[in-house]
Parts: sequence; structure tokens; C-alpha cells
Amino acid sequence: MPALTFNNVSKSFGDNTVIKAFNAEIHDGEFLVLLGPSGCGKSTLLRMIAGLSDITSGQLLFDKIVANDWEPKQRGVAFVFQSYALYPHMTVRENIAFPLIMDAFKKWYHLPIVNIVARHRLMRRKDISDRTLQMARQLELEPLLDRRPSGLSGGQRQRVALARALVRNPALYLLDEPLSNLDAKLRTQMRSEISALHHKVAKTFVYVTHDQVEAMTMANRIIIMDKGIVQQVDTPDEIYDNPANTFVAKFIGSPPMNLIPASIRPDGLKLAGQIAVAHDAAKPTRREATFGIRPEKLRLKAKGEGRLPARVSIIERLGAETVIGCSLVTDRKSDDLLIEQDLVFVRVSGNPRMQIGEACSVDYGAEDVLWFDSDSGERISLKSE
Amino acid sequence: MTASKIRSGMTRLVPYAFILPPMIYLMVFMFWPLGRQMYMSLTNTRIINPNRGRFIGLGNYQRLFDDPAFYLSLKATLAYAVLAVIFGVALGTISALAIDRPFKGRAIVRAILLFGWAVPNVAASLIWLWMYNDRSGVFNRLTEALGIGRFGWLTSIDLALPSILATTVWQVAPFVMLVVLAALQSVPHEVREAARIDGADGLSTFRAVTLPHIRPAIQLAALLVCVWSIRRFDIIYLLTGGGPVGTTSTLVVKIRQTAFENHELGMASAYGAIGLVLALAVAAIHCTVEQRRMKWMAR
Repeated sequence: MPALTFNNVSKSFGDNTVIKAFNAEIHDGEFLVLLGPSGCGKSTLLRMIAGLSDITSGQLLFDKIVANDWEPKQRGVAFVFQSYALYPHMTVRENIAFPLIMDAFKKWYHLPIVNIVARHRLMRRKDISDRTLQMARQLELEPLLDRRPSGLSGGQRQRVALARALVRNPALYLLDEPLSNLDAKLRTQMRSEISALHHKVAKTFVYVTHDQVEAMTMANRIIIMDKGIVQQVDTPDEIYDNPANTFVAKFIGSPPMNLIPASIRPDGLKLAGQIAVAHDAAKPTRREATFGIRPEKLRLKAKGEGRLPARVSIIERLGAETVIGCSLVTDRKSDDLLIEQDLVFVRVSGNPRMQIGEACSVDYGAEDVLWFDSDSGERISLKSE
Repeated sequence: MTASKIRSGMTRLVPYAFILPPMIYLMVFMFWPLGRQMYMSLTNTRIINPNRGRFIGLGNYQRLFDDPAFYLSLKATLAYAVLAVIFGVALGTISALAIDRPFKGRAIVRAILLFGWAVPNVAASLIWLWMYNDRSGVFNRLTEALGIGRFGWLTSIDLALPSILATTVWQVAPFVMLVVLAALQSVPHEVREAARIDGADGLSTFRAVTLPHIRPAIQLAALLVCVWSIRRFDIIYLLTGGGPVGTTSTLVVKIRQTAFENHELGMASAYGAIGLVLALAVAAIHCTVEQRRMKWMAR
């Protein structure tokens, strides 16, 4: 497996720079997820790894060898496209066998008639037909081998695309939002199948998605990108617990981390501009900062029992848990309060008996609070302050 | 009858109301003349007295099949149509493939390539007539400059059909190019990229991805070029008038000659009926091939 290294890799389309000085290393055998909103440059990055897009500047190294100008075939990668990109006129068997046939294809097979004969003979060659069958069995496609893609369901097409990617036993698997065209149930199923496949083949997977659930459940490491710039590279747990900035804090987690503007005073805090809170734990030395806390770390209490007076604005009952959106009670007009970004979300287990408009309060543990710079959005390390 | 029942009855009639005008058009201008022509082919109608034709059964067809000129005409028609399809489709497809990729000046090249199709047939024939001119034509000037002498492009038995074909191909290839280009531009980009990842070179990608995708368009273009070639009159008549010695006298040219020079409308109708059968056979082959392809794809 090649170790992949990105040295200041950039990509521009005319004057529009979509990836800016990307630096990262992809380790052997890991499941790396490129995560970010649409248009952040993650698919472009994947295409540059595959050799489908040129690199404008910087270096991409395969095992410490500059591979910027290598042809896709030379890189030994497999690519699973968002649209599956199956060959529509070929059967499932021919689709899976195609990379193997191309590997065995000689230049003179291009001659008329020779081409047809050579392809048929290659399809029947024992090593190719055995490997095709093996892949089909592995992905439970054996009964579908003689069908064409138009007669398959989304999930089946997805599995054919995976089989085609796996058949050559490549060193690196590149997957570009492969589950985005599937329905929710099938997506969950295919998610676990891809994870199982990664464990089974023990090769490096680079997986592009904008779905944080896919990223969190499948990745060994996640690279979060925004506007072509890497925001954070870390394990899913670290990214969730210790986001590098407010973008990551808001992008990961559903509902996202609560971010409340805070004025810091020697005796406590003033949150959302109005609510004075006693906060005896460590806090930033600057006067203004953003107070961040995950919804599950907040505690919903009866009116007057918690430090933050609030009113229930939204209740999302999910069965095992309930997400409650509360508006903090400030002096602002009530019309402004039902804007989602002004709400503080609390995740509670079970199905609490609460009603919209009900007065309540919210409390937190000081150890669960994360601090961010109000201007740059970067995380504030209390140790270094 | 309730108002809702009347409304529902009216709704059912709406589709028929929409297809009525084209049906009337087809009945008046297509099926009726076609029926008349088929009937006329069974009569000895002459142009001098067109309403006094006598029913003679298959007499015209019997004469037709006994006439060596008919076989010469049929041979010329088939040769002309088949070669026009082969060269027109090949040149059109190659041109489409060439201008499918972006390059500097592509818009200008595309406009130049389309020129042949944009020029009316009569104007195109006159341009080529001038180019084929024995004395002042550009081709003979060129061959003279090369030291291989002059040729009777439109008067030689060996060169007349190829010369007409060259003009025809110049006219139809841009049409084929447009049809194939439209198909090429709808080839999914990701499938081509998948083939590159799978290790296919340019030719293999073309065979595995591009060709199957554009095949229906090529097939359709071939059908149209074939039917048009069977029906084409203007270019052939203006360039050679069917000569020399009937080598370019296709069925359509023969129809004119039989109807307006020999004054035999019944016999000309029989020629027309043969042409119609040929065109229908080509269309039937196309439909069969297309149906098989659809079934094969759905398997």
C-alpha cells in the first residue's frame, strides 16, 4: 500500500482556487474520511489522488515519489463514483471483469475482429472468471451476474461498483459519496457493509462524504474541510469532543454544538448578552469569547433550578431520546426568539413531558464547556492562556 | 346526463382532437396520394390522359422485372444508398469525435464542418458542378498540376457515381456529425473516467463506453441517410441527369424519366412502389435492430 503525502497541494479552476495548500498524510490501512459541506473541494481532492484532475501546485507523493503526472492506471487505485458509473451495456459479470480484462489487454487486440475474439477469450480465462465469481460471491451478486445495471436496484448497483473496485485488489480505494443516492435504510446497511469490507480487505480507504454520520461511524480519521481549507484532521472522537474551531463544532453533531456569545467577568459570565451566570471554573482571560457546549452535556431542569432561565421552543421526539430547543430568557423581543440559531439545544434521554412555551431552566458542568475566539472562531486553549 | 359525465366524455375526446389535424394532413397529403400511386402502378395511365388509365394488374411490374434498365437502376440506387451511408456516417462520426474535445478554434471548425449541410441542395450541386467542370473545375486543375491529366468526373462511367457520392457525403456528413455530437455530449463523464481508472486506453474506452452510448444515434443517422439517398433526386439530376449510360440513374431519376420523358405514369408509379418498398425495408430493419437492442439492454 502506498503512503500518500500531500505537500501544499492546491487546485484552481481559472481564478477560482478550490483547494488551498492542502497538507496531510494518509496512513497504510486506515479508513480516512474527507468531510465537508458541498463545494468544499473534497471530491476534487479525491479526483486528484486518482489522477482524474490535475494538481495546480504542490506535490502528491505515493510512497515518497512525486506522482502528480502519473496516469490513473499507474496509481493502482480503485474509484467508486457517486453515480456508480457502471457500464450500462455490459452485464454485471462483464462490469466486474472489465478491470481484469484491461489488465490483460494487449495493444494488438485492438485490431478488428481480433478485439471481439480476444475479449471473449479473456472473459472465459480461468483466473479472470474465477476472480470475477469470487468477488460476486463476496458481495452477494452471484444471482445477478447475467443482468444489466438497468435491471438492478440502487443497492445492487452500489455493490457491483464495489465489486468492480475490489476485483483488481488495488492498494488504495477511493469512494466519492457512494451512498448519497440510496434511501436511508439502504444507506445504513451499506455503511456497515463498507466498514466490514474495510476490515476484511485491510486496505486504505479514502471516503468522501458530506454526511457526518457516515464519517463518524466509518472513519479511523476524519479530515474536515471548508472552502478548500483543512479545518481539522483527527479521530472521530477527538473531532467531536475537541473541535478545532466553531466551524467543526457546528458541522459535527446533530443538533450541533451550542455556541453562545459570552462576556467574561471576574465573578462569572454574561451569556447571550443578558444572562449573568456564576462560573467558578477556569475561563478565558479575554473579555469576549464564544461559549460552546454539546447538547447532551446540558441538563434540562425545572424553572429556577438551573443557572440559565429558558423557555421550550421546539421539541423533537426521536423515540429513545428527545431534542429540546430552548430560547434563553433575555430582554429581547419574543419575536426574535424562534430563530433556530438563537436556540440552545438540549438532548435528553426518553420522552420527557414538556410542552412548547413551558418555562424551564438549563444548567451545565463547567468541565464540559469549550471556549472559542469570538472573532476567528478558533478554539481557545485555557492551558496556554 | 350529469355535467360531470359530459365533462369526462369531453376529456376523453381531447387527445383525439389533438391528433386530428396531423391525421387529416397525413390522409390528404400522404396516404391518399400513396394509395392513388399504388393503384396507378396497376394501370396503363399515360401523362397525356391521366384519368383514362386502364387496370392492367401486375403488367407494369412484369415489364419492370423484364427490363435490364430496371436492374441497372436498382443497382445504382442500392450502391448509391449503401455507399452514402458508409462514407457519410463514417465521416460524420469521425468529425463529431474530432470536435467533441475542446480545442482552440473549435467553434470555427464546427461552423465550417456544418457548411455542407447548411447549403441548399441545388446550390451545393451547382458548386460541385463547377468544381467538376472538365476545363475550369478545381479538381481537373489539381490533377493537371499533379501531372495525371484531366478526368471526366461526371461523364466517365467509372467516376460519375463516386463523384455524385462525394457531393452527397459532403452534404449529409455534417448532419450525421450533429446527431452523433449530441449523443457524444450525453456520454456520462464518470463512466469514461471509470474506464480510465480500470486501465482502459483511449481506444478501449471508445469501444467500451463511447460507442455503445452513441450507437443508437449512429443507427438513426444511418437510417435517415439511407432513406434520403433512396429518395434523393436533385443532386443526381443536376450533376449527371442519370447518365452516363444510366450508371447514376437511380429509381427516383428513373421515375422522372419514365413519367415525363416516356409519359408512362403507370410505369413510373411502379418504380415509385419499388422505391417505397426499399425505404420501408430499411426502416423495418432499423426498428427490428432497435427493438432487439432495447430488449437486450433490459435483460
